[in-house]
Amino acid sequence: MTKDVLRHRPLSTVLALGVLIGSVVAVTPTTVEGQETPRRGGVLLAAIGADAPSLDPHQEQTFATLQPVAPLYSTLLQIDPYKYPNVIGDVASEWTIAPDGLTYTFKLHPGIRFHDGSPLTAADVKASYDKILFPPEGVRSIRKHHYSAIARVEAPDPGTVVFKLKFPSASLLTNLASPWNVIYPKKYLDQDPNYFKKNVVGSGPFKFKSYTRGSTFEGERNPDYFVKDRPYLNGYKFFISTETSVRAAAVRSGRAHVEFRDLPLSEVEAIKRQLGDKVVIQQTPFVIHFDIAMNNTVKPFTDVRVRKALTLGLDRYTGARVLHPLTGLRDVGALTRPGTEWAMSPAELEKFPGFGRDAEKNRAEARKLLAEAGYPNGFKVVLKNRNIKLPYQDFAVYVIQEWRKIGIEAEHRPLETATWYADGRDQGNFELMVFPTGAFVDDPDQLLAPYLTGSPQNWARFSNPGIDDLYARQARTLDPAERRKLVIDLQKIVLENAYHMPGLWWSRNVVHWAKVRNWVAPPSHFTNQKLQDVWLSED
Amino acid sequence: MQTYIMKRLLLMIPTLLGAATLVFLIMRVIPGDVALLIFGGDQAGHIDPKQLTAMRQRLGLDDPLLVQYGTWLWGVVRLDFGTSLWTGQPVIEELLIRLPLSLELALLATLVSVIIAIPLGMLAAVRQDSWVDYVVRVVSIGGLAIPGFWVGILTILTLVIFFGWGPPLEFTPPWVDPWANLSMMIWPVLTVGYRYSAVTTRMTRSTVLEVLREDYIRTAWAKGLRERVVVIRHALKNAMLPVITLIGTEFAFLIGGLVVTETVFTLNGIGRFVVDAVAHRDYPVVQALVFLIATSFVIINLLVDLTYAWFDPRIRYR
Amino acid sequence: MATNVELTHATASATLAPRLTLVEEVLKFARTKPLGAAGAFIILGLMVVAALADTLAPYDAYQADYALQFARPSVEHWFGTDEFGRDLMSRIMYGARIALFVGFTASFVGCSIGGLLGVTSAYVGGKLDLLLERFMDILLAFPQLILALAIASILGPAVQNVVIAIAIPIIPRAARVVRATALAVKENVYVEAVAALGAPQRRIVLRHIVPNVVAPYIILLTAQLGGAILAEAALSYLGLGAAEPTPSWGLMLSGSALSYAEKAPWIPVFPGIAISLGVFGFNLFGDSLRDALDPKLRGR
Repeated sequence: MTKDVLRHRPLSTVLALGVLIGSVVAVTPTTVEGQETPRRGGVLLAAIGADAPSLDPHQEQTFATLQPVAPLYSTLLQIDPYKYPNVIGDVASEWTIAPDGLTYTFKLHPGIRFHDGSPLTAADVKASYDKILFPPEGVRSIRKHHYSAIARVEAPDPGTVVFKLKFPSASLLTNLASPWNVIYPKKYLDQDPNYFKKNVVGSGPFKFKSYTRGSTFEGERNPDYFVKDRPYLNGYKFFISTETSVRAAAVRSGRAHVEFRDLPLSEVEAIKRQLGDKVVIQQTPFVIHFDIAMNNTVKPFTDVRVRKALTLGLDRYTGARVLHPLTGLRDVGALTRPGTEWAMSPAELEKFPGFGRDAEKNRAEARKLLAEAGYPNGFKVVLKNRNIKLPYQDFAVYVIQEWRKIGIEAEHRPLETATWYADGRDQGNFELMVFPTGAFVDDPDQLLAPYLTGSPQNWARFSNPGIDDLYARQARTLDPAERRKLVIDLQKIVLENAYHMPGLWWSRNVVHWAKVRNWVAPPSHFTNQKLQDVWLSED
Repeated sequence: MQTYIMKRLLLMIPTLLGAATLVFLIMRVIPGDVALLIFGGDQAGHIDPKQLTAMRQRLGLDDPLLVQYGTWLWGVVRLDFGTSLWTGQPVIEELLIRLPLSLELALLATLVSVIIAIPLGMLAAVRQDSWVDYVVRVVSIGGLAIPGFWVGILTILTLVIFFGWGPPLEFTPPWVDPWANLSMMIWPVLTVGYRYSAVTTRMTRSTVLEVLREDYIRTAWAKGLRERVVVIRHALKNAMLPVITLIGTEFAFLIGGLVVTETVFTLNGIGRFVVDAVAHRDYPVVQALVFLIATSFVIINLLVDLTYAWFDPRIRYR
Repeated sequence: MATNVELTHATASATLAPRLTLVEEVLKFARTKPLGAAGAFIILGLMVVAALADTLAPYDAYQADYALQFARPSVEHWFGTDEFGRDLMSRIMYGARIALFVGFTASFVGCSIGGLLGVTSAYVGGKLDLLLERFMDILLAFPQLILALAIASILGPAVQNVVIAIAIPIIPRAARVVRATALAVKENVYVEAVAALGAPQRRIVLRHIVPNVVAPYIILLTAQLGGAILAEAALSYLGLGAAEPTPSWGLMLSGSALSYAEKAPWIPVFPGIAISLGVFGFNLFGDSLRDALDPKLRGR
């Protein structure tokens, strides 16, 4: 067909076609293995560790919602599955940013349809984002505060979406690539903003097939998907199984092809031993770290010397070695992920309390500080935690063990999740608490938000205007090098004053059968779950 | 007999009412705000206090306790247990998805235990103090002593490590695919059934022993009847009553076994649902489940008592 | 579990049997009931280990040796080490303390409170009896583990909370059995005679009813002990019992024990053996004790 068309058209059109195709290709994720021809067909079987509270990613935070539901929807932008953390378009084909950084204009792919046949237009994008940014009464929007820079969203024509900002935001594109910001059809949102908690109408590579709560979630191929020739799979099926070893057994016995989140190293090693080349292990870091929040408003943690002593007393490097095979806690870093552009170098880090390599020296200094602060024999304290074994409880066991060496007797008190939130976030009813922070991507805005005065994530309840100022500045600095400096300076203030005690950064082991092709595990278990380019080399 | 049945049925009502009230109170005493929990999720998040209040109001958590109690009771009577706070679906629906699995597990476990236990118990009683008796006693006491979840763990480990076999992850009803159903259920059934049969074996043995000492048995011996006739026709029939009672009262034991076994084997049944719902502070689900379990327990006890009364007229007139 | 019928006979006949001294009773028991003696031996062994754990255990239960994570059983570590390099044998020895503490306390508290309620209910009779009976019926409507689960999740994971959670379901069961026995004794002609002679209520209760209730009480107690230990293990396994890093046997079996099983099979195996042994001992002993105290079976 193309040949006939080309014979009768001028060269310019051919060139234009070429450019168009080129630009589409440029914004479509490129496959990692270019050599092999993907095979069509097959159903991907996955084991997942929890049941979704609802099917609306706007209102949830758990992988239990996102992983099963992500293949059914599209987002405006996405993180490139094969080149983390680049941002590429999904529904958006291209975009321009105004010189003052206050207007972002996105052009949408034409011809995208929702699974019920209706076209996806800018109005739907606007309605979905309005729900996220300005949620109506009775509707949750967990990540609303990530978008404080956005003033409003406009849809001037069906193929164009415009975001107007109050101030320039360096993280805007990354935040718009959030896998949680799925695009819903406006007409259902208008009927009921909570419609999608129980229903699925998306535009993704797969259509909803069935959901048996506590048991299975299935999707099937969308033959009208806007990306031609995708997806390769005929469908996918998630099996919900809360016991880690049962999921590992499922992968091992072949009942599941993959577990997308994480399996303990011992299980992974056992699977590899038994199946050899038939399985592939992908190890990546999570963008999540587990820390200890010290309640700065409660004695003795009002005293900076005591706080410093606590962080000096934790040998993080040995901890990484000990805890990695058990829990995946592996990397020593401050408040941004080590090894990324936003983290200081290991040599710089070692200068701060708690990050020095000489554990004995650190402990001696800790004891000295405690004596100065009036606790020559240490003291007793309660460490509250969430009632989940990995990695929360194992992390606490290690930390408690370490603190004993400087005379601090910490009693471990696990709490049910609801109480943990209530005590930590809302009432400040704790002395010490295990506290995780994370994001779906290495974004300083998200990672540093817990250290702002008055932030609901600031469980440690400290306040330093210097930190607030640096945060506001880095959020608006578009030059990466300058931004990096501000981000690091902010962390230095937190570490110098030991307001908060960083622990260890988390990593994960993803196991899948080798026949599952073209899936790369990103640092976050929230991204790259669309399964658009995944194929099975055999059933 | 009729009056006895009537009396017992009427007595059931205040018991069930009391159970419903107790369940309601227990769930209200649990610390931890479910609205917070619903917002909570995997990682520390950001909550707008206004959204929290709105959620609480929507879930009816801010209504006065008495109003919530009234709503609960009225719902129970109509078999409407409200909606799950966690998923927003009607509790009845959530229950019905998971009920078939647990029922099948309970029934099969009971069947297995009865088939094993009664002959074994009889054998041990008839051959009291012989090596057969000792073996049976030790094995059944051992069966009781070994924690059910440990047996489950070891079973899974053996299957996975030595046979590379993992259980199916999805429940298929037996009428759809009996083979898949069996391969999923057989191991949990054996795990639960093993312990259940230990209890039944002991009970059968001791009641048969008691009966064997009765005068009318001695008369049968004296009459020269063969052992088999004596045992089966006379002893067994009378020993069956306490055993039936036992099956009824140990039903509670079975439910406990369900909870633990379903957790170990991650089966999508009612037992595990209770544990999950308690962790989520999903009041309506926990209330409904605990109440229904209590009700079924009471009903089974009633049936057992009625059976007993039917066999033994002396009891009716107490 | 003993039925009402058996226990009633037990008490009625207990008042008429010839009295032996305690030592003679014990020796006779050991002679005629070897299984029971074996059970008693196991229990005593556990109690010794629990009491003397500080001396007997080669290591501290919390002491981690990071160089020796998942070490195989060896001369230095008879049962191997766990994921933190803690000596498993020491942890199991200290775990005996928790198991016995929870087992004894929960059964004792539950049976005593229940027994007290049962005796009071039987003796006072009337409205109080009716009220208590109804309340006990309501509590009895809940299977033991379910009630313990609900209570444990209210109170939170801690050893003392587990004791309460296990003790509470025992109360109505104890009350029911003791009440039935006390009623039978109360209607015993002998007691009626004493009452007719004008003995004060308190004396009747203490001197006559209670001693005859002791035998079924002990039977009940020993019957519940094994169950209490199992319940503690189950609750800890479900995450509702003792918290890390407490060396509770059930806790050692939860969560990652399965994941580590292939690498270090001693981690899931030894705690399970410990639990089974403990419950086994209590059951053997309790069984034989009941056989011994039940006069109907005494003849043989």
